[in-house]
Amino acid sequence: MALIVTVIFLSSGLFLGWSMGANDASNAFGTAVATRMLRFSTAAFLCSVFVIIGAVTSGTGAAEGLSQLGAINALPGAFTAALAAALTVAWMSKIGLPASTGQAVVGSIIGWNLFSGSPTDLGTLRRIVATWAISPVLGAIFAMLLYRLLVAWIRHSQPHLLSLDRNTRSGLILAGIFGSYAIGANGIGNVMGFFVAASPFRDLTLGGFSVSSVEQLFLLGAIAVAVGVYTYSRRVMMTVGDSLLTLSPLAAFVVVVSHSLVLFIFSSTALESLLAGWGLPTIPLLPVSGSQAVIGSVLGIGLLQGLRGVRQIRWGVLVGIASGWVTTPLIAAVIGFVLLFVVQNVFGQEVYVALG
Amino acid sequence: MFNESPPLFGKTRFLEGLIDEFLDKISEGVIVVEMGIKAYLCANEDQEICLEKLNQTIEIKRRCSELRRSIVTMLYTEMLLPDARSDVLRLLGSLFELLDEMGDGYQELMIVQPKRREEFGQDFADLTTMAIRSVQAVVVAARTFFRTPAEVRDHINEVRVFEDETDKLACRIKSRIFATDLSFEQRSLLREAVAMIDALADKAENIGDNLSIFAIKRSL
Repeated sequence: MALIVTVIFLSSGLFLGWSMGANDASNAFGTAVATRMLRFSTAAFLCSVFVIIGAVTSGTGAAEGLSQLGAINALPGAFTAALAAALTVAWMSKIGLPASTGQAVVGSIIGWNLFSGSPTDLGTLRRIVATWAISPVLGAIFAMLLYRLLVAWIRHSQPHLLSLDRNTRSGLILAGIFGSYAIGANGIGNVMGFFVAASPFRDLTLGGFSVSSVEQLFLLGAIAVAVGVYTYSRRVMMTVGDSLLTLSPLAAFVVVVSHSLVLFIFSSTALESLLAGWGLPTIPLLPVSGSQAVIGSVLGIGLLQGLRGVRQIRWGVLVGIASGWVTTPLIAAVIGFVLLFVVQNVFGQEVYVALG
Repeated sequence: MFNESPPLFGKTRFLEGLIDEFLDKISEGVIVVEMGIKAYLCANEDQEICLEKLNQTIEIKRRCSELRRSIVTMLYTEMLLPDARSDVLRLLGSLFELLDEMGDGYQELMIVQPKRREEFGQDFADLTTMAIRSVQAVVVAARTFFRTPAEVRDHINEVRVFEDETDKLACRIKSRIFATDLSFEQRSLLREAVAMIDALADKAENIGDNLSIFAIKRSL
């Protein structure tokens, strides 16, 4: 009975994971599939495997960032907040507005904080909102630099058209793998971060091999993401590939690498300790939106080509995307607040544990 | 019968080799046709030498056709060059058509056999040289397209210049032919020979125009 209750409560997290798989996986392999450099089946397989590896091995860094924003301390509360985020993403996608899973999650946590009377750590919120602005800018800068470097290298080495095609294809596969790993490491905090404080699992030790409750949670979430990739990401991949700007395979490669770099620097605990070791300021470990990094990177490629590139960018699509970035957290917060009220007062569930 | 079966590994290099061989064969075919036309219209060579060049041209065309089929099959079955595949196939197809038309034109010349006149020998030699330079420039441009698309434009410009010169020469020779006291039938046959050679440069220019668009699409 307890297991059934746990599965029911986790189902909203799995729903959120599924929708993230359907949407965000396109950031890693969307451009490769849309430019027909890679078959969808190959992309889906590689993406699923490396999302799971990334989530289980490096997912904790970004999840801690969300916990600072608001620690949801009751399983029904986590269920409701995840459901609010998942419904927001699903609804926004249905009406054709691109949604960011990370932003929906932040919105729903704030909704929970408002409902439970918990304080929202404004410092963390500021840093998260800052990443929403920084990640597209960083994506654009990385894309511009990488593209320039690659073009200079191609002009210098003058590879045959076919060799260039082969190298770009290999690069897209490697970058997609890196991107999938980064989605797993960074995005799993969005999907299962809710349940960290209210985890129904216990640490397991099998011989000399131990699996923490958080790793079990993240594995479950990553499997949901993989199901989302296989069942619903194809169309989204095709859209992401050329909705904003028609990309060449080389530009597609640059976009994926830039996106992955942005996600990596915001989720890597190793990079954080390396910078700290050198006495340099560290980069906050926070879940950032891969879609924002991708959009920034695509814009970077377009702007790099001067007026010709600017004319080719579909600005109407960009305005739609930007409006989605503003409305997603607000809608998630409102839906979260309303759902928490319903779950507490209609279903009689304790959605938060009053502290002190 | 020749069989091009790709290896399990190193397909890219194998296909690069096929494309290079195809372009080599086109260049070879252009030279052979040039020698054939000049042997018949300019140098008054024996029928035997002209027939030998015709047979060589037919053999080169056959090999080019096989190579083109292998390249097309491999590009599609291995899903290579998804963005530039159609451009590459169009380019190779039109180069083959050019060689095919050159061979057919030369064959027709050998069948119709217009009366050879010594006074037009040098004119036909100049016309053939200019038209063939135009064709050779487009073959070089095609080769450049695969490695340095930015340089294609330079070669395309050469094609245009040679084509323009070919048109002027053709016009001048036609006027001279119709100023002679040859029979109308002979004048018409010689004019057709001039038009056939001139058409090669026109075809090269058309390929060059398409190639410049393919190169723009590939520009980084």
